[in-house]
Order: sequence, then C-alpha cells, then structure tokens
Amino acid sequence: MSTTATTAPIFPSFEQVVQGFAGQIGQLREMAPKPTLSDAVRVRRAIDTLIAETNADEAVWLESCIRCGQCTTACHYFQATGETKYAPMRKMNLYRKVYQREIGPFRWWYQLVTREVKLKDLEELQELVYDSCSECGRCTMVCPMGIDTASLVHHQRSALVAAELVPPELAALRMEQKHAGTVFGASADSLRKMVDTIREKAGVIIPLDKERAEIMVLSSAVDLVGNGNGLLATARVMNHLGVDWTVCSDGFESANFGLLSGDMSLWKKQVDPIVAAAQRIGAKMLVIAECGHAYPALRWNPMLKSGELPFEMMYMSEYLGRQAKAGRLQLTPLKGKITYHDPCKTGRRGGAFEEPRAVLKAMDADFVEMPANKEYNWCCGGGAGIFLLERATRLREESFKIKMEQVNITGAETVVVSCASCRLNFEAGRVKNHWDRKVESLVELVAEHLIEDPRAVPINPAQGVRA
Amino acid sequence: MSLLEFARGPAIHWSLIILVAGTIWRLLGVLVLTRGADLSRPRDAFGNFKGYRTVFSRAWPSGEFTTATRYQTGMAYLFHLATLIVVVGIVPHIEFITGLTGASWPGLPNAAGVAFGIIALASLLALILRRIAKPAVYCSNWGDYFAWFVMAAPLVTGMMAFAHLGPRYETMLAIHLLSVALLFAWFPFGKLMHSFWFIFSRAQSGVAYAHKGVRI
Ligand code: SF4
Ligand code: SF4
Repeated sequence: MSTTATTAPIFPSFEQVVQGFAGQIGQLREMAPKPTLSDAVRVRRAIDTLIAETNADEAVWLESCIRCGQCTTACHYFQATGETKYAPMRKMNLYRKVYQREIGPFRWWYQLVTREVKLKDLEELQELVYDSCSECGRCTMVCPMGIDTASLVHHQRSALVAAELVPPELAALRMEQKHAGTVFGASADSLRKMVDTIREKAGVIIPLDKERAEIMVLSSAVDLVGNGNGLLATARVMNHLGVDWTVCSDGFESANFGLLSGDMSLWKKQVDPIVAAAQRIGAKMLVIAECGHAYPALRWNPMLKSGELPFEMMYMSEYLGRQAKAGRLQLTPLKGKITYHDPCKTGRRGGAFEEPRAVLKAMDADFVEMPANKEYNWCCGGGAGIFLLERATRLREESFKIKMEQVNITGAETVVVSCASCRLNFEAGRVKNHWDRKVESLVELVAEHLIEDPRAVPINPAQGVRA
Repeated sequence: MSLLEFARGPAIHWSLIILVAGTIWRLLGVLVLTRGADLSRPRDAFGNFKGYRTVFSRAWPSGEFTTATRYQTGMAYLFHLATLIVVVGIVPHIEFITGLTGASWPGLPNAAGVAFGIIALASLLALILRRIAKPAVYCSNWGDYFAWFVMAAPLVTGMMAFAHLGPRYETMLAIHLLSVALLFAWFPFGKLMHSFWFIFSRAQSGVAYAHKGVRI
C-alpha cells in the first residue's frame, strides 16, 4: 500500500505543475498552424458551418432576444470588467446575422438591408466566443427567454474552426490531438511510464490494460505530464474500494480539444476509441477523470447514443459520491472549514451537484456553500479552454476575483474543486493574488483521507468515518 | 374618404392581415426547421418532461438575481399588465372588438381606464429611461427603440383622444388608429414577437437542462 505519507513527495506540488504548464502554453503559441485558405473560402466555410448546425432550437433562441439586459451582469466577464463588449447577448449577434441572411423566414429582406459577413467580422468574433465565454451557462439562468447563449457560442466556435480562426494555443493542441492523438505529448508511452513510476515509487499498482474489467478509468494529459498525484490518488481510491478496474492505453485521454475548439469531427474521433475500449473489456462503468469538459464530451455527448451502450458513464466526483453514499469509502475526518466549487461543465451544465457534496459529508467536513452555488455558481473564469489563452489573461484574472470573493464570504480555508482546468486556474489565481486559501482536488483529498485498513479503526458505517 | 375612415377601414384591416400572415410566416419559418436530437441518455427517465416547467418558472427571476433584475422585471410586469387591461378593458376598445368579432363584455369606468393608461405609459417610460441610462448593460439596437416607439405611440395618442386633448377628436382618433395599425403591421418583424417565442425558447432550454438533471 501507499507510503506517500511518510516519504518525500514523488511528484511536484500543484503549484509547480501550474508553473510547468505556463511554460508549455508559451510554446503552443509558436506551434499554432497558420491559415491556408483564401479569405473568401474561410468566410464561406464559417457560414456553411453555422447553416449546417442551425436547427429549430438555435433559430428560436436567436429570434427570442429582446435585449432586456438581464444576462449582462450575470456573466463574470462583464461583471469583472464592466466592458459592454462582453455582454452575453452580444456573443450571438454575428450568428443572428448569418441566420437572418441565410435561414430565417425573412432572409430575402435581410440580404437586402444587411452587409454580408467579412473575415474581419469573424476575426472580431474570436474574442467573444473563445476568450470571453467559458460556455458556463450562467446567463441562461436569468434570461427571461431562457436563451442558451452557451450553445450558440459553441456553434460559433465550430464556425471559427472552419474559418481557421481558432486561437493559437487551442489550435496547436487541436492539431496535436488530431494528427498525433496526444495532448501535451501525453501518449500511451507516457501512461506506461507513469504507471511504472507510481508502482516503483509509491508502491501503488495500476492495473493497466486488463483484458476484462468492470470499471474503466480515464486519465488526462494534466495527470500524465504534470500532476502525477492525480493518477496516483485515483489508483489509491480504486484499490481501496477493491473494485475490478483498469486503465486502457488505447483510450485513456479525458481531454478533448475537439469539444474545446469546436471541432465536431475531432470530438468524435477522440471519443470513439474510448467507447470501443470500454466495450472490448466488457466494462460496466466508465469513470471520467477530473477533467470538467470530458463530462459533456462523453457523458452528455449528443452524438453518442449512450442509452444503448452496455456501460454507464460517471464523472469522478459522481462516482466517488455514489461510493460515499453507499458507505464504501472509509474516510478520516477533514479538519477546518471547506467549500466546494461546482465546475460549470459538471454542475450547471452537467447536473453532478449532490455527489461531490456527499463525499465531503463522508469526511465529516465543516462544509459551507458559497453564496452563489450549484446552478447559480460563478465560473472561475478559466473554463472551456480559456485557461490556455494568453490573450485572455486579464479577463481570466479579473473574473477570478469574483470567485475569490465568493470563497472569502464562506470563511472557508479550503476550496475543493473537481476539475483539472478549474484547479489550474484557481492555483494560478491563488499564487498571483497571494490568496491565503488552499485549493484541493476532490479525488486527491479522498486519497489522503482513506482509512487504509478499515478493520484497524472502528467505523461508523452510516457516515463512513471514524466513530 | 376621410382620414378617420381610412384609419378605421383599410389601414386597420390591412395591418391586421399583415399581423396575422406575418406572424404565421415567421413562426412557421422557424418551427418547421428540424430539431437537433440529443442522443445521450437522460439523467432520469422522465427528467426531460420536467423541463417544461421552465416555461412557467421563468416568469419570475430566481432569488439569486433579485437585485440585478427587480427594476426591469417590476416595470416590465407593470407595463404588460396595465397595457393588457387598457387594450381589453376600456369601453371604446370593447366596442371596436365587438364590431370586428361580435363578442362583448362590460368595460372599466373611465377614470380606471385613464389610470391604467398612465401606469402603462409611465412604466414604458421607466423602461426606456433605464435602457438609455445603461447602454453598456442593454446593448440596444435601433429595433429596440423602434419597438418602444410603436408601443408608446398608441398609448399616447389613445390617452389624448380619450381625454380630448390635441387636435379635433376625429383627427386624434384617426391618428390613434393609425398608430395601432403601425403596431400591428410591425409586430411580426421585430422583437414584439417575443410574445410567442418565449414559450418555445424557455421550453427548449428547460428540456435541454432537465436532460442533464438540472433545473433552470
Ligand atoms: S437576458 Fe436573454 S433576452 Fe435579455 S438580453 Fe440577455 S439574452 Fe437577450
Ligand atoms: S455562458 Fe457564461 S461566460 Fe458565456 S456569456 Fe453566458 S455567463 Fe458569460
């Protein structure tokens, strides 16, 4: 069993991980592909993409906005900067224009009275749909029309993929994942090496590539090239539960730069091998690593008939919550006051609210909700790939202050997150602001609080903590 | 043909035709589009159905947004309710509707009609003042101001005709009817159509989020 508690740390701290990533992100900008098509073709492709992706849902939302202004202050990017260009309803203007000219019932009229879309318009759109919208959905919670701006923004990201206008960092990672099948160089090889390191240094076994297993667990590039503690913690928890689990070297990557950039074909290309591997090994459950957008990429993938698959899909926090509720996680109590940050993709846009809270309850934690929580949670500012964009640094840092304020109000010393991207953003913000709070990952926290030999201490089965 | 005859006759009739035909055209033009299917497994079997609650629940903003929304919501409700009462409640309107459809009902006393008219106008004014005062929040376009104008015009001219202010009564009434005709004729093309869209828009989002087990 693990000896990490007594020996020097095997892997760098998360603060060091963040520093490492900052260097890597800098290199991404230089690796970004340059546009190859003519301006006219790029514009046409963007328009065609929007036409192809517009169904009645999108059309109704585009028709419905009355510019009542309610959504404006609900968006962290506006709230943090006061700059009107970041108001949510502006993020659908270009889409509406294309819709009105190409699809809408009065298109002949709009073709007469509106100017056609130029490449310059699309270049300006980039900041609105990448840098300043994390597709968090908070604006939808207040809109009297219920308009789902996040969905409309996502379609526009797809259009910008077609127009070769993905921001450099995301474009480089998209290309890497598309052509090399890796992100940040995290390959099947680096997975094997990490599994070996964890076995040799921590004495924790990760059953890699089992032929059959009940549970298939995903990892992510952040774990493999930076934060080894993530995978180590996952392994310790799974071993503690005593379940039949495995990691598949041909389908382990949670990160999906198809979804983040808006490239639907890459999205699918990334998901297919994971689904195939899970079916091959006869998995009953696919556990998605703490990588927020992997949840919509897999569990809520609208292109994947998941009802017909022979396995269930759960986010890590969801899986842990179910185990905690069933009394299968024996955890030592957590000291100090804590709060929990709902990642947008697993919370408001994913519905996994109760499970992470059940885990914290199983640790008997002094848990306090933030003033705006669950469906109303403020995004940390770094979601949907924004953490990677250098150009969005100011937006990200300013909006993170809203999050700090929310945490400060709770008086909690520790904020728990369950998403690598949120955690990178929190950690970067913590260091930058000399913020006196701790940021923890849910799965790592659970691993630290496991009672390794439950027979050695009396257990209160109802709570799963020491009686 | 006098101005009043024109306003009462062709102007109102044609504007009503535009109103009905335009509304149907715009609604159908959108609603005939295919619906994108979400093939993923819903969080619970009947979850999606619960999403339709949003059509009603979104009638009032959640407590989380009270401070930010109370002015807009309060004024918008005052405006919509007072306008509705004036449209169907005062005697000249009832007579007009009776002439068109044959249906009739008792009207409000004149003083009450005037009071509701004033409330409608005052709230409409309160809304536009805020829109002008906070351009960064509202991000208005000319359509917003035009919609406001075509809505305010019948209220102002109607009150003037009702109170026998301004030009000769017949002229004032004709102007009022023409402003109503403008409102009808514009209705299908601008944002006034939200009186239909809100049902579909809220329902769609409600269902999409309910699919994931989220109540919005
Ligand atoms: S709250 Fe909704 S209707 Fe109002 S301006 Fe924003 S998107 Fe438009
Ligand atoms: S989805 Fe979130 S980030 Fe995007 S506009 Fe709405 S509130 Fe802002």
